[in-house]
Amino acid sequence: MIRNRSSNHVSTLYRFCAQSMCYPDPLWLTEKYFSSLYNLLDTLGGTREKELLISALNDSSDYLEDLQVEYTRLFINGAPHVVAPPYGSVYLEKSLQGKYAEKILLYYHSCGYSLSQKADFPDNLIHQLEFLSFLAEDKKQQEEEDFLLRFFQPWYPIFSKLVKKNSHHPFYHVIITIIDFFTKEEKEYGV
Amino acid sequence: MAFNLTRRKFLQSASLAAVALPLSKAIASESGVTRSPFEAKGSSGDKTVTGGICEMCFWRCQLVGKTRNDRLVKLEGNPKSIDNGTSLCARGNAGIKLLYDPDRLKYPLKNVGKRGAPKWKRISWDEALDECGKKLNMIKDKYGPQGISVFPHGSTAKYPMHFFERTVGTPNISEASFFQCRGIRDTAYLATIGIPPGEKVDMPNAKVIFLLGGHFGENVHVSHIKSYMKGLQNGAKLIVVDPRYSASAAKSDIWVKIKPGTDTAFLLSIMQYLIEKGKYAVDFIDEYGDGFEEFAEGIKGWTLDKAAKECDIPAKQIKEVADMLADNAPNVSIHPGRHVSWYGNDFQRQRSLACLTGILGAFYVKGGWVPAKGPKVGKISWKHKEHEEEHNLNVNSDDELYHPYTPPGTPTELIRDAALTGKPYPIKGCVIWGQNPIQTIPDQEKMKQVLKQMDFVMCVDVMPTDVTMWADILLPEVSYLERYDLIKTGTQWDFSEKHQQYISARMPIVPPLFERKDQVYITNEIARRMGYQEDIPVKTIEELVEKNLKVAGLSIEQLKKEDGIHIREGKDPYTMPEDFEIIFYNEDIEDSGFPGIPTYIPVEQPPEGFARLLYGRVPVHTFNRSQNNVWLNAAMPTNPVWLNDALAKKMGLKDGDEVGFINQDGIKSRTTTTVKTTPGIRKDCVYMGHGYGSANPLMSVGVGAGVDDTSLITKITIDPETGCNGMRNNFIKFTKDGKTIDIPTAV
Repeated sequence: MIRNRSSNHVSTLYRFCAQSMCYPDPLWLTEKYFSSLYNLLDTLGGTREKELLISALNDSSDYLEDLQVEYTRLFINGAPHVVAPPYGSVYLEKSLQGKYAEKILLYYHSCGYSLSQKADFPDNLIHQLEFLSFLAEDKKQQEEEDFLLRFFQPWYPIFSKLVKKNSHHPFYHVIITIIDFFTKEEKEYGV
Repeated sequence: MAFNLTRRKFLQSASLAAVALPLSKAIASESGVTRSPFEAKGSSGDKTVTGGICEMCFWRCQLVGKTRNDRLVKLEGNPKSIDNGTSLCARGNAGIKLLYDPDRLKYPLKNVGKRGAPKWKRISWDEALDECGKKLNMIKDKYGPQGISVFPHGSTAKYPMHFFERTVGTPNISEASFFQCRGIRDTAYLATIGIPPGEKVDMPNAKVIFLLGGHFGENVHVSHIKSYMKGLQNGAKLIVVDPRYSASAAKSDIWVKIKPGTDTAFLLSIMQYLIEKGKYAVDFIDEYGDGFEEFAEGIKGWTLDKAAKECDIPAKQIKEVADMLADNAPNVSIHPGRHVSWYGNDFQRQRSLACLTGILGAFYVKGGWVPAKGPKVGKISWKHKEHEEEHNLNVNSDDELYHPYTPPGTPTELIRDAALTGKPYPIKGCVIWGQNPIQTIPDQEKMKQVLKQMDFVMCVDVMPTDVTMWADILLPEVSYLERYDLIKTGTQWDFSEKHQQYISARMPIVPPLFERKDQVYITNEIARRMGYQEDIPVKTIEELVEKNLKVAGLSIEQLKKEDGIHIREGKDPYTMPEDFEIIFYNEDIEDSGFPGIPTYIPVEQPPEGFARLLYGRVPVHTFNRSQNNVWLNAAMPTNPVWLNDALAKKMGLKDGDEVGFINQDGIKSRTTTTVKTTPGIRKDCVYMGHGYGSANPLMSVGVGAGVDDTSLITKITIDPETGCNGMRNNFIKFTKDGKTIDIPTAV
């Protein structure tokens, strides 16, 4: 992994990604949130993505409801069917709460972390990103790399493709692209 | 879409800080991951959780769950059970896949699109319940309580059904388990012996088991199958009456390949023959029979030859059946059946079965019809309030009942017709709880029109079944593995063994997942919002179970100590009640304008080129509730259509050909299935397993898998005495590669 990065900043990036995958709610989907997201897109060179997103939000009479309907369709229950449940077990075992979920929880424990009472299943994408955020903050780069390789990469690319292919709103396309960016290996550079 | 720089460069750049700082201020949610002390590797949370009661079908076997850190890894029969024992069927085992089905309903949803083409938005429970309470109250205020209709099914639907029926005051309740299934059986036996019969035949101790349409082995209820198999092991002869060579027919001593719809003629001729030959239980009938002379006189015309012609079977086979029954009477199990909504002449057939049992003296004797004496528990629910009677749709202008032998509730078609015409009053609210009326009630288009004209539709379910697409508010219910619920009572199934009773209560194997709630919570919260808070009978589902157990001197805690099942000494089941009687000729039925003596009413025959569509159970599915189960789908993904092999040859079809169907009303199947050619089915009918071919894309496994037989049942037939549906009076042709193929034999 990158040795001279600022761990806290990387931790923040993971947490921001996790936040973005929560159910759309005015509590976090604020002006501040969007301005931070636009700033991130500017820095990454995502001008086109930013324009598409702003256009979709401005064209909507109720952008919050649009995002809630899209989130429900993509990740909870939707028609024609739920597109991409955000749980690793679904892709690896065609089931919620599979063995994979158990293994991932054991891995959290083995690194000194756990799940709160209110948490979803341990293999939820949000918790995986939150876990990565903790690892980054606690400077556990070896574990971070290990987790991405052993637990995250086996399912996330399938999920990512599904969301990108089927999303009707640019928001989730953008967010998934950002998560892709921060979690994929860059083999050509020997990261 | 991709970004212009690499992750490595970005993370090393000075921009990182400039971007991350504002991002950190945009994070508002609490993390689900927390720091905790290190824990040793290895699994430490393995447990066996007792107290489960299956609901993959309604037989409700007792089970235990093997869990690991709250994750259910295996289901097994409860070793303490004297009902199913350690056995669970394929569906019971696959319950784990229902629990963790990714397509299951997880949160309350609001439809911000259209009914039938929903756009779902996750909402909070408060918002969902507020909406339900407000809309139902608006309908009640505008149209009266009768403006609300309820389509309930299953153990969780009783509590809400009682709320709407007893407290709110709507009579418009249609339970599929009655009006499209077993209601006719229950009221026919009530009119004959005063008790609904259940499936209470003492098969382990029978000398003959007689099944009319029962296809055990394809229809699997564990302790019932054990009871049936024990009977066969003990040497019972088996008579199976079925147009199809079913799994039971394959084990039979006599297979009666009867013409569909003629069963009553067959039964009447057996009884006429036994009476004529004096081969009936004379003393038994003297003591317990009522109206026997009128009955005997009334069925006199049903000679063996007449029935043979009507039923398209040899007269000597009817005689063989009659003799076998008489020679072994009274130790014969005349099975009352379960799903009996067949041809619209079913009340009379069920009465005939009860009378045949009486003629053989086969009530309360070894091998006969024997209701076990089970323990008593409480039945806490909503109290009956005073309501006006004038809104009963089953009453005509002369204050007489259209269908005097209706099961509890209001016949489905009366509700649907009132909803569509607005007469005698509008029905504008619909509560659907655990039922899928799109796939249980004939004429799907009619059901859709009924739902379309509603002001408000709410559904409560565990899965997104077809009807949920028509909901305005869709509420996720906990599954049977996540809740407290019904109390199951009973006895050992082999009455030759020590008499024992059991009491068990459903207890959760795992905690509820996501935001699913139980029926007491949901109903109470709606009741509060409708202004009925003073009437709420219990605060929680646990309180309901506790109060019902208390009647039997038990508690949840005590049951847990006893591994989920309390067993106590039982009573002799063979003791005949003092007031028992068999009403062969029922004057009350006649006074209501229907035949008081069991009577055969012929049914419509297939038009030229068509065959009758028959349907039934497959061992790995329970209608649509198991459609989406990955394991069960893998075991039997589609429902091949049974077609007589000689016919298939004439039609140019062979095993495995992919075909669709078109019915007598021009309705085409949405999907296709494969052909199964066999000599084991008559030429005037075809057969397929029921509960396939969901139209709901949310059921990502079950959608379009096989053919939905109900979609082809568009002609509605009503059993006149009961108002229940007859489901087997529809006729189909095959389609293949865009062409229609006539069925050459039709009668």
